Amino acid sequence: MADKEKFDNLGPENFEFVQRDEKIYDKRFETKPIGYFKDAMIRFRKNRTNVVATMILLFLILMGIFVPIVTTKNYEELEIQLQNLPPRVPILENLGFMDGTQHLTEQTADINAYDPELGLYYPQGYNPDLIVEGSLENNEIFCTDNNETCVGGQVVVGLSKDHSSLTFSRDGIITFDETQNPQITVEIFEIISDDPNAVLNVNILYNFGSSTATLGEITEAGTYTYDLFEIIDEPSPLYGQISFELLASQQSNTSVSFTNVQVTDDSAESPLVDDTGLAIRAYKLGVANTGTIKRSQGIMVQTSFDYKIYEEVFGDKHVPVFSANDFDQIMIDNADVCTLPEDMDNIIGWEFEEGCPIVRVNGRTEPTEGPDGNFYFSYDLVLDYAIYRGYEEIPYFFFGTNGGGKDFFALVWLGLRTSLFIGLIVALINISIGIVYGAIEGYYGGTVDLLMERFGEIVGRIPFLVWLGLFVIWLGPGLLTLVVLLTVTGWLGVASTTRTQFYRYKGREYVLASRTMGAKDSRLIFRHILPNGIGTIITASVLMIPGVIFAESTISYLGFGIGHGQAFKLFGLFELSGVSIGVLLADGRTALVQRPYLTAFPALIISILMITFNMFGNALRDAFNPSLRGSE
Amino acid sequence: MLRYIAIRTVWIFIVLVSFLSILFITIRLVPEYPPTEEDAKAIYYARQVNDGYMTSYVEDDPAVVASIIDNTYERCSGCAYLQNGDIFRVYVPVPIIQQYTAWLTNIVTEWDWGVSTRISVNTPVYDIFKSRLPVTIRINFLSLLVFMPVGFILGIIAALKKNKLTDNVISLGVMIFISVPNFVVMLFMVMIFGYSLGWLPTQFPAPDVTGMVRYTSLVLPVLGLSFGAIAGLTRLTRAELTEVLTSDFLLLARTKGLTRKQAVIRHALRNSMVPLVPSIIFAFVTLLSGSVIIERIYSIPGMGRVYLDALTPQNFDYNLILALSAFYTFISLFAVLLVDMSYGIVDPRIRMGARK
Repeated sequence: MADKEKFDNLGPENFEFVQRDEKIYDKRFETKPIGYFKDAMIRFRKNRTNVVATMILLFLILMGIFVPIVTTKNYEELEIQLQNLPPRVPILENLGFMDGTQHLTEQTADINAYDPELGLYYPQGYNPDLIVEGSLENNEIFCTDNNETCVGGQVVVGLSKDHSSLTFSRDGIITFDETQNPQITVEIFEIISDDPNAVLNVNILYNFGSSTATLGEITEAGTYTYDLFEIIDEPSPLYGQISFELLASQQSNTSVSFTNVQVTDDSAESPLVDDTGLAIRAYKLGVANTGTIKRSQGIMVQTSFDYKIYEEVFGDKHVPVFSANDFDQIMIDNADVCTLPEDMDNIIGWEFEEGCPIVRVNGRTEPTEGPDGNFYFSYDLVLDYAIYRGYEEIPYFFFGTNGGGKDFFALVWLGLRTSLFIGLIVALINISIGIVYGAIEGYYGGTVDLLMERFGEIVGRIPFLVWLGLFVIWLGPGLLTLVVLLTVTGWLGVASTTRTQFYRYKGREYVLASRTMGAKDSRLIFRHILPNGIGTIITASVLMIPGVIFAESTISYLGFGIGHGQAFKLFGLFELSGVSIGVLLADGRTALVQRPYLTAFPALIISILMITFNMFGNALRDAFNPSLRGSE
Repeated sequence: MLRYIAIRTVWIFIVLVSFLSILFITIRLVPEYPPTEEDAKAIYYARQVNDGYMTSYVEDDPAVVASIIDNTYERCSGCAYLQNGDIFRVYVPVPIIQQYTAWLTNIVTEWDWGVSTRISVNTPVYDIFKSRLPVTIRINFLSLLVFMPVGFILGIIAALKKNKLTDNVISLGVMIFISVPNFVVMLFMVMIFGYSLGWLPTQFPAPDVTGMVRYTSLVLPVLGLSFGAIAGLTRLTRAELTEVLTSDFLLLARTKGLTRKQAVIRHALRNSMVPLVPSIIFAFVTLLSGSVIIERIYSIPGMGRVYLDALTPQNFDYNLILALSAFYTFISLFAVLLVDMSYGIVDPRIRMGARK
C-alpha cells in the first residue's frame, strides 16, 4: 500500500534520462538477468501462504527422516511392560494436558480399601498413592455378578415351568439354643406368580436332614420373623439347616425375590446368620434342580480416577523370576554403580545403591542342572524400571506408546517416512511409464495414438476396487500389490499431460529443422520435444505424490497393503519398514474409544502432510505455468 | 444420436465382457481354498460339478483305492479325492475355457452368478447382492443430495466474492477437505460426534431397529462421503464460474442493461454448468467406491463391506468378487455413456457422435 501511494503523484523531477550521451548496446547488464527458474522462484515466493505450507512440508519431511534415526526410545522391539502409555509432553503436562495420566473409569472398587477422610473406596489393583489427588470418584451401578464386589440386592428364585415344587437350602448347620431365644427373619421383596395359590414354605431341617419342620408359609412380600422353639417342639440345642420350598402349579411363571435371611439370638449383638444377596445366591438347589437362582439389583461400587501410569510403569517393579544370565549382564554393564556383596551367599536381601537398575534381591532359586551340564538359577528381585530400560528418569513419550509398548512418536514419523518413500517411488515409476507412453502417443499420433488412447481409457475406466480385488487375489496383500495397484492407473495422468505437450511442440520449426537434418525419432523425442515440455510434466507430477500417499494409506488401512513386522529392501538400497500411516491408523481403530490418541496423531500428521503437499504442488504449478493459476 | 448411444452401449458390453473374462480366468488360475470340514467339502465339490467347473467319477477299483490311501497313487493336480467307505469320489477340474463357457452360460441363460462360498455359504450371490445394495444406494443418493446443492452454492459464493474473505475461507476449507483422506475425516467425526459428544451412533445399527436411530445413523456416513465431493464440486464450480464471469458475453449482457443478478443467473450459471454435470456423474461413481471404506469404519452392511470381506486373504469368495466386480465395472462404464450423452443435453452446441 505504501509503495502504491509513493508512486501516485510522480512529477517530472522523479525521472532522469539514462542514456543521453552514450550508446549502451554493447554494455554488460549491470543486474543479473532473470531466467526461467528465477522468475518461477519469484512468483513462488510471492504467495506467503504457500511458502509457509512449503516450510511445514519440509519440516515434516525432515522429521520423518531424522526422528527415527536420532530417537533414543524403542520403536522396534515389543515391550509389553510399556504398552498403552498415554501421551506425555514436557511443557504441556503442567497445564494438565497430555500429562501422562490415564483417566480410568468403571474400575471395580476394593471393598476393603475405604478412605474414611474422602468417604470413597479405592479401586482394586491400583496403587492408591499414584491416583491424582482429587480425581477419585465413586459411583454405584446395579449388578448381577456373583462375587463379593456386588453387594445387596435381591436373589430371585424361579421355579421351572414344568415343575410344581422347588427346594433350596442354606449350606451349614446352625446351632439353635432355646435359652438364647433364637429367631429366624426372612425378608421377601416380592412374589410373582400366575398361580394365586403359590406359596413359599420356610422349613428347618434337623437330625442331620432326616426331619423337617415347616416354620411358616409365605404368600406375599414382607418381613417374616419366626420364633423357632415356639413353633416346633424339639429339645434344645437344635442343630438345624434353613431350607425353603416353593410350591406352585405347573406351567405357571413363579419366582420369589429374597432380600435377606437372618438368624438372631440374645447371645450376641450381631446376627448369627446374615445372608443378603450374594450369600443367598450360594444356597443350594435341591437334588431335582427344578429352578434357577439369580441375582438382581445388586449394587457395585465403581471408581473413576486419573492414574499416574508413568510412575507405576517406571517405578520399582517386583520380578519373581529373573534369569541369572541377565543379572550378570546387568552387573557387568553397570559395574560402576552396582556393587555386589563380597560373599555372594549374602546376596539375598542385598540392597544396591541408587542408580543401579536393581534395587533389591529378594531371593534366589537353587541351581538346577540343565541338559547341557550347566547350572541354572534365577533371582527374585526388585527392579528400578526406568533405569533398567536405560532412562535416567521417567521418559516422555510425546504421542504415548502403542499396544506393543513402542514409542508412538517415533512410529508416526517412521510411518510418514515409509509413506513418503512409497509415494516418491511410485510417482517415479508412474512418471517414467507415463512419459514414455505419452511420448509415443503424442509423437506418432494417428492410429497408434488412437489405439493407445483407447487402451488407456479402458484401464482408467475399471474401478479402483476391481483392480484391488484382482491384485489382492493374484499377489496377496503386501508391498508388491500396493505398488502395482498404485501404478496400474497412476501413469494415465502423466501420459495425457505428456501427450498434450508433444502435440504442442512436435510441429515447431526447430523440430522440423532437426528432422530435415536427419535426426532420428528418439533424438527428436528426447533431445528436442521432451525437454521443452518437461517443466509442465514434472510440476503436474509433483501433485501425484500426495495422491499416491492418500491411496497408500487407504489401501494399507484396509489391510491390503503393507503391515507390521515386514521390512523391504528396495533395489537393495533403501530399507522400508512395514509401518506406514495407514497401518498405524488401522491399528488404532480397535481402540478408538479407550486410546483415541493412537488415531488422532497419525490422522493429524497425514492431514497436515496432504494439505501442505497439495499447496506446495499448486504453488509450484502456478509458479511455473502462471497461465494455469486458479484452475483446479 | 441413437446410433451413437447404441454403438457406445455395445462398446460398454464388449469392454465389460472382455474384462470379466480376464478376471474370471485369472481368478480361476489362482489356487482355491476349499473348506476343511468333510461335509462342507463334499457340498463344495458337488457345487463345483453342478456349476460345470469340475467333473466327478467314482473310483472303485480296489487296487487304485488302496494306492490312493497309502499315497503311492499319482494324483492329478487340482483334483480332489474324497473317501467314502471303500470307494473314492474323484473330482477333476475341466479345462479353463470350458469352465468359462459354463460360467457365462449360467449367467446368460439363468442369471445365475453362482453361490457364495465363504461369506454366506451356499446363498446365491445375486441374493447377497440384492440384500446389500439398498443400504449402499441409500447412503450414496443421500450424499448426492447433500453434496450437490452445498457444493454448488459454496462454489457460486466463492466465485462471486472472489479474493475476498469469504472466498479465502471457502478455498481453505476446500483445500483441507480435498487433501485429507475421507476415512480420516470419518474417523475424526466418529471420535468427536460419536464417542466424545455422544450425539450420533458410533456405528450403523442393525437393520431392524426403529425410531430415531434409523435416521441419525445415516448422518455420519453421508457426511463422511460428502465432504470430499463437496470440496471437489466447490472448486470446480468456482473455477468455471470465475472464467465465465470474466468473459465478453457477460460484459455484453451487463451493457445491455441486465442487473448483475440477472446476468449471473441467466448467463453465467448456465454456461458454467457444461463441465459440472459430467463431474457430478463421475462423482457418483467415486462415491460408490469411496463408500467402501466408510462402510468398513461404520460397520454398514453394504456392498463395499461385503466386497472387502470377500477379499479376505486365503478366504476368497470368488463368485461374489466376480459378481461385484461386474457391477462396479458396469456402473463405471455406464457413467461414461451418461456423461457423453449429458454433454449434448446440457449444451446443445455439442453433438456427440456427429460426423465432421
